[in-house]
This record gives sequence, C-alpha cells and structure tokens, in this order.
Amino acid sequence: MKFLVVDDSATMRRIVVNSLQRIGFNETVEAADGVEALQKFDQSICFVITDWNMPNMSGTEFAKALRLREDGKNVPVLMVTARSVRDDILVAMEAGVNNYIVKPFTPAVLKEKIDALLPAAA
Amino acid sequence: MTTNRTQEVLYESEAALRLVDHELNELHDVQEDETQRPVASPPNGVEGLNEIAAVLNRANTQIIAVLARIREGKLAIESTAVGRVKVTQDKLREVTTATEDAAINIMDACDRATTLVDELDSIDAGETVDRVKSAELRGSLRDELFLMMGALQFQDITSQQLAHASSVLDEMEERMFEVAKLFDPSISPELARAEPAVENNSALFDANATMRDSDSRQALADEIFTIVKGQAA
Repeated sequence: MKFLVVDDSATMRRIVVNSLQRIGFNETVEAADGVEALQKFDQSICFVITDWNMPNMSGTEFAKALRLREDGKNVPVLMVTARSVRDDILVAMEAGVNNYIVKPFTPAVLKEKIDALLPAAA
Repeated sequence: MTTNRTQEVLYESEAALRLVDHELNELHDVQEDETQRPVASPPNGVEGLNEIAAVLNRANTQIIAVLARIREGKLAIESTAVGRVKVTQDKLREVTTATEDAAINIMDACDRATTLVDELDSIDAGETVDRVKSAELRGSLRDELFLMMGALQFQDITSQQLAHASSVLDEMEERMFEVAKLFDPSISPELARAEPAVENNSALFDANATMRDSDSRQALADEIFTIVKGQAA
C-alpha cells in the first residue's frame, strides 16, 4: 500500500515516513507542496498524508483539487498540521480531509487514524 | 531602537512641537493686537511683520498636522508594541523551552539506548545467548531510537513560531519607518529597512503553532470530526 506524504518540512516528511515504516507501511512517495503532490499522485497511491501550511499550494487547496480528480475523489486524506482551532478543522473537513492529526503527534495516534481509514483505502 | 526609547523620542518630539505651537500662537495673538489699532497708513515694517506672521501661521498649521500624524504613529506603535510584541516574546520563550525539552528528551533516550546496548553486550558475552531477551532488548532499543526521531518534531513547530515572530517585527519596522518619514520625507526604504531574513508569507506558518497541550488539541479535533460526521450521517 503506497502512501503520499506531503509537507514542506523535510524533517516532518522524514518523521511521518519513519512512523509509517514502524507500523508496517514501507512504500511512500514524498512531495514538498500541493503542486508537487498533485503531479506525483496517481492511481497507485492508496493513502495521502498532508500538512496544511505549504508554499505554492496549501494542504486544503491540495485536498480540494484532489477531490476534483476521478482518481483522487475517494482516496483517504489525513491532515497532519500544527493548526488546531475549531474553524481550521471545519475548513479542512470542507476541503475533503477525512481525518485530522495535530502536531506534535505520536505514532499511536497516526496508527489509530490510518487504521480507521484503511477499509476505505482498500 | 527599543520600543521604550521609541516612545520616549515620540513624547519628546510631541512636547517640542507643542512648545513651538504655543510660541506661534502667542506671536499670532501679538500681531492681531497690533493690527487692531487704527493707523492711517501702515509703515513698511508692519507690512513685513504681517507677512512673517502669515508664513508662521502656515508653518503652525503644518506643524499641527505633523503633530497629529505623530500621535497616530505613536498610537499604532503602542498597539503593536503592547499587544503583539508581548505575544511574540511569549512565543520566543516557548521556542527556547521547546528546544530545551526536545534536547533533554533526546539525551534521555540516548542514555536509555546506551543502557540497552550494554545489556545486549552482556548477553553476547554470556555462555549461552538468551535470544528471547536479546530480541526484547533490540525492540526496546528501536523504540528509544524512534522516540528520538519523534522529538525532532519541535523543529517544524518552532520554525513556524519564529516565522510568526519575524512577521511581527517586520510589521513594527514598517510602522516605525512611517513615523521616521514624518521627520525625513527623503528617507529611502532601501536604506532604512533591512531585507526580511525569512519568508514572512503568513500562508507558510501557523501563528498559533505550539508544542503545548497536543493531547487536548487532538481531542478537540476528534470531537469536531465525530460531531460533524454524525450530523452528516
């Protein structure tokens, strides 16, 4: 199962990828912003994990654009972000994000959110 | 220039301008008294004085306008200084704390990892190798190494906090530049202001980014998702 990990911080991308490997997901593709993520997304991607604040295209803009694509409208999207106020969470939901993780996160929370969305990914 | 010193300069400037304003008003009053006396034909000296009074009146009007703009600038700086600078100072203290906490967590994990390696060495040095125990120790060692990596999340959060602090300083610099232009309209933006050290596009950072209370913030996010999804169902 291939994951697309989107974050402008190389540190965070590495942490997410490492966390995914810890829970058994070894296939990952990385992107530094929404534009690159849209370019790299294809039918082989089963799950998207994205940050919010990024240059060129934010995480919410990326999620909206992804939902307009035939191959992206049903893929689970998990947002991992420092934003945690109520209005932000609602904006993310409206953009098509399936669930939300607040930074800093623990591997246990990441696993819990992925497990909850896995049936959709399958 | 510190915020307090800036305020002192503004107060002193305001006091000086008030004194000038007062002197000009007194001069104007003297001129009015003199012009009210009936004279058959004003001598040339009085005409010259009237001209000077007119020039000084115009100067007085302009100074009053400048005074008003200085007051506006002072209020703007005060609102920025008192409000946002304090918040920014708190965020910078938080950056220090987050960095220190992460460093301590990583060092603690290193210590525990070193102990586990020592235990693995002891097992290897024994006559019989307890494979179950060594597998358990290797698992614990991987956990400690993973904890170290997780502690590095502070880098992302603190970079956003610093970007926010930088944007507040840029805003203050801009306001002070506007006040400085009142005293020297020829001042060049390129000379007066340094280039921003970091990209201060607010889309690249969250002004509320923090390492604190992640459990309660995650609980809020979970609650909102549950409620909204329940309403949609």
